[in-house]
Order: sequence, then C-alpha cells, then structure tokens
Amino acid sequence: MEASVSAAVSVSLLAMSVIFTVLTILIFTIKVLVKLTPYEAPPAPPARKASASNPSGQDDQVAAITASLAGHMGKRPDEFRIVNIQSR
Amino acid sequence: MEFSFSSSASKIAHSTAFTSLESGDVLMIGVACLLVYLAIWKKFEPLLLLPMGFGCLLANVPMSMMASTDSGGLLNFFYQGIKHEVLPPIIFMGVGALTDFGPLLANPTTLLLGAAAQIGVYMTLIGAVFLGFNMQEASAIGIIGGADGPTSIFLASKLAPHLLAPIAVAAYSYMSLVPLIQPPIMRLLTTEKERKIKMEQLKPISQTVKIIFPVAVTIVCCLMLPGVTPLLGMFMLGNMFRESGVTARLHETAETHLINIVTIFLALAVGSSMTADSFLRLETLKIIVLGLLAFSFATAGGVIFGRIMCKVSGGKVNPLIGSAGVSAVPMAARVSQKVGSEEDSSNFLLMHAMGPNVAGVIGSAVAAGVFLSLFGDAGSSIDTHAALAPVIGNPEPGMQAIATVVEAIKQ
Repeated sequence: MEASVSAAVSVSLLAMSVIFTVLTILIFTIKVLVKLTPYEAPPAPPARKASASNPSGQDDQVAAITASLAGHMGKRPDEFRIVNIQSR
Repeated sequence: MEFSFSSSASKIAHSTAFTSLESGDVLMIGVACLLVYLAIWKKFEPLLLLPMGFGCLLANVPMSMMASTDSGGLLNFFYQGIKHEVLPPIIFMGVGALTDFGPLLANPTTLLLGAAAQIGVYMTLIGAVFLGFNMQEASAIGIIGGADGPTSIFLASKLAPHLLAPIAVAAYSYMSLVPLIQPPIMRLLTTEKERKIKMEQLKPISQTVKIIFPVAVTIVCCLMLPGVTPLLGMFMLGNMFRESGVTARLHETAETHLINIVTIFLALAVGSSMTADSFLRLETLKIIVLGLLAFSFATAGGVIFGRIMCKVSGGKVNPLIGSAGVSAVPMAARVSQKVGSEEDSSNFLLMHAMGPNVAGVIGSAVAAGVFLSLFGDAGSSIDTHAALAPVIGNPEPGMQAIATVVEAIKQ
C-alpha cells in the first residue's frame, strides 16, 4: 500500500476523533453507572469489649510494642512486661 | 560400520555450528548479550528483556532450529502463539487481573488524558510514512507510542509481522526508559505553579460499578472496534475475575502464574524472531529512532491536554498526571508522583495518575482497533484449519479420522 504524508495526517485525525468519541462514551457510561449505584460505606464493625486483663482495651498495642521492643533489645517477649501506656 | 578415529573426529568437527557461523549471526549474538546485560545489570524490563535476549541468542546459533522461522523447532512452536494472536491477549488478561479501575472510575474525565497521549502514536505514524514505510508498517510502528508491549506485538503480528522483532524490542526498551524520557518533557511543558497543584481526594466507588464497568467497556469498545476484541475482551475478563469476588482462584492464577508462564513464551518467541535477516536492517534503526519520538510525543500530548484540563477545571487538575496517559502501568504513574513530589513533598499524585494510566491501556487498545479497522484484513475470515495446520498437522480429523478407525477395525 503506497502511503503519503497527507494520507497519514488524514488517518491520524480520523483515528484521534474515533478514540476521543469512544472514550467520551465511556466517560458518560461511567457517570451514569456511578449515579445509579452510589457508594455505600460498609457497616462499621461492632465495638470490641475491653478485655478483663486490660480494661483500657490496649491489648493489640501492648502486643505490637512488646514485639517491637523485644526485637530491638534482642530479648524474648516474655522477659519483660509493659504495664502502662500513656498518651501525651 | 567401520570406525576410524580421524574420520569420526573430522565428522564431528564438520557438524559443529562453527562451520555455519556467519558475521550476521555473530552480530546478533552480540545484540542478544546486550539485551541480557541490560536486563540483568541495568534492570531494563528484566522480565521481558532477559527471555527475549536469550531467545535471540538461541535463534542465532546456526543449525539449532530455534529461530521462529525454523518449522518444527521449539521456538517456532511458541511463535505460533504470536502468529495466531494467542499470547498477547492472555497477557492482557493477566494485566486486567492486576488492574484496579477505582481511580479511573472515581475521576472518569481522566480517560481523556489516556486518549490525548495517543497523539504519540499518530505523530509517529506520520513520521514513519515520511521515512518510507507503508501505512500498515507505519501503524505497527506508531503503536509503540501507546507504550503497551502486548498491544504492539499484537498489532505488529497482524499488520507487519516482518517488523515484529524491532518493534517489540523498541517498545519494551523505551518502556523501561520512561523514568528517563518523561521528566524533562514534563518539566519543560509545565510551570512550577502547575506542578504544585494538589488534587482533591478521590471518591470511593461502589463494587457494583467496578463489576459492571468491564462489561460496559467490552460492549461499547468491541462493538465499535471488533478487531480489538481479543485484546480488550481478555483485559476486561481478567478484571472481572478481580472485581467479581467469586473467582478468587482464577484471579490469583491470571495475575501470577498464568501471566508469568505466558510472558516466558511470548518473550522467547519474540527473541526467536530476532535473526540477522530480520533485524540487521536499516528499518530497525529507523524504528528505534521513531520509538523514542513516539514516547516523547505521547508524553507531551498527555501533559498538554493535562494543562487544558487544568485551565478548564479552574486549577483543580495537576497537568503532571497527563504524562501517565501513555500506559506503561504503573511506571508512568510513578513518574508523575516523583516529579510532583520534587516540587512539593506533601503532594501525592500517584492515585490520581493511576486513572490516566489505566485509561492509556484502554486508549492504546482502541488505537490498535482503529488501525485494524482501517488496515487489517478484516474482510477475509481466517481459515482456522489452514491456520492450525502448521501447529497440529492435519486439523481435518473429524470424519476422516473416524473413517480410518472404522476401516482398521473392519480389517
């Protein structure tokens, strides 16, 4: 197929028009979809009861800090105990 | 059979590949080693360039029967997967399984940035025609600007199979160079004030929209451009595996093992097509230069359209996300984030850039569809039997095979 620059320019203009048309249709499709089915936040998980061992409900924080400290100090987690966490 | 040590030694010496080694083979072995070097030591798309380079090495060992044209050879068998449009669509299914359309759905106007970046494809098309390529070859070269490897291979295998090797090498090489090519163009085309624009947080999208979207894209795009259905259809199928929530095993397989296995086959097959005859030509040099132009124009097109969107939206869009419209997921989005954070370290553009980034994948597939509609051989349906003949022998088994068996039983 013999090709000339002017034919290539025509093809480019036509093709860009098709691309913009197709993607514009998609934009409107998405907008309609989003309007028809709006986002609903999932129900919040039920609040956890404070455990008997730690009335303030800080078990997860204590476990995470204990593991980090044990790794940092090179000790086993049962070699020391965190008794209190105070926020500033 | 009489054994003679000297004649046997001479026979072995003459049966080595050294006797058939030509200068072209030596040069291509050098090219293969360069690709392997770039993959391992420079980390240029190693998942692709390493098997591609090794495939090239195997294909250029004389008498090895490993070139894509060596009928009956191992890599010729893999090459059938490209020739018959099997491997690129499967890769696209894996990409779809990896893609989150959330940022695009939250800000759908970024689809236009994915469209604008396709300007690189068409500037390269014009450049390729100017350099003497015909329209089909120019289309296959131009799609390098889409920065999408499987799409480039898919289109080249349909429109210009003789240029497949240099197009694939150029596409993947420049994709790995996106972090070097894009930033200077982005800085050149934007002001400091524009680069500092902070965009609003994206709204969450319902799961229902995420599930319906792949179906909607398939219907809209594949009805308009049926030639691109293998690519876009599989891309959206992979995404359905991800979003449906009921096909966790298929999703996991598509995004990990399947895409990895097919990547090996695809890259080896492309490498096997890199023989001296097909690669050591002036056209290869032209394609390498045009590939660089394609990426540069695509980046510029995205950024300029980003500036237009910035003006129209009253400064709510950071034009840097426009460069992510060149596809190359997710590297181009990371480049937008990096250039933005260089101006203001508290500016997070990554999620905003992911919208145009995945839009670029759709945009380049649509661009390929337009080329197939214009220059593809859509009129002539493929004769499936004839197409499969080189792969599985005579594929006309049906009645003929049954008749043979019946005849054998009678005897």
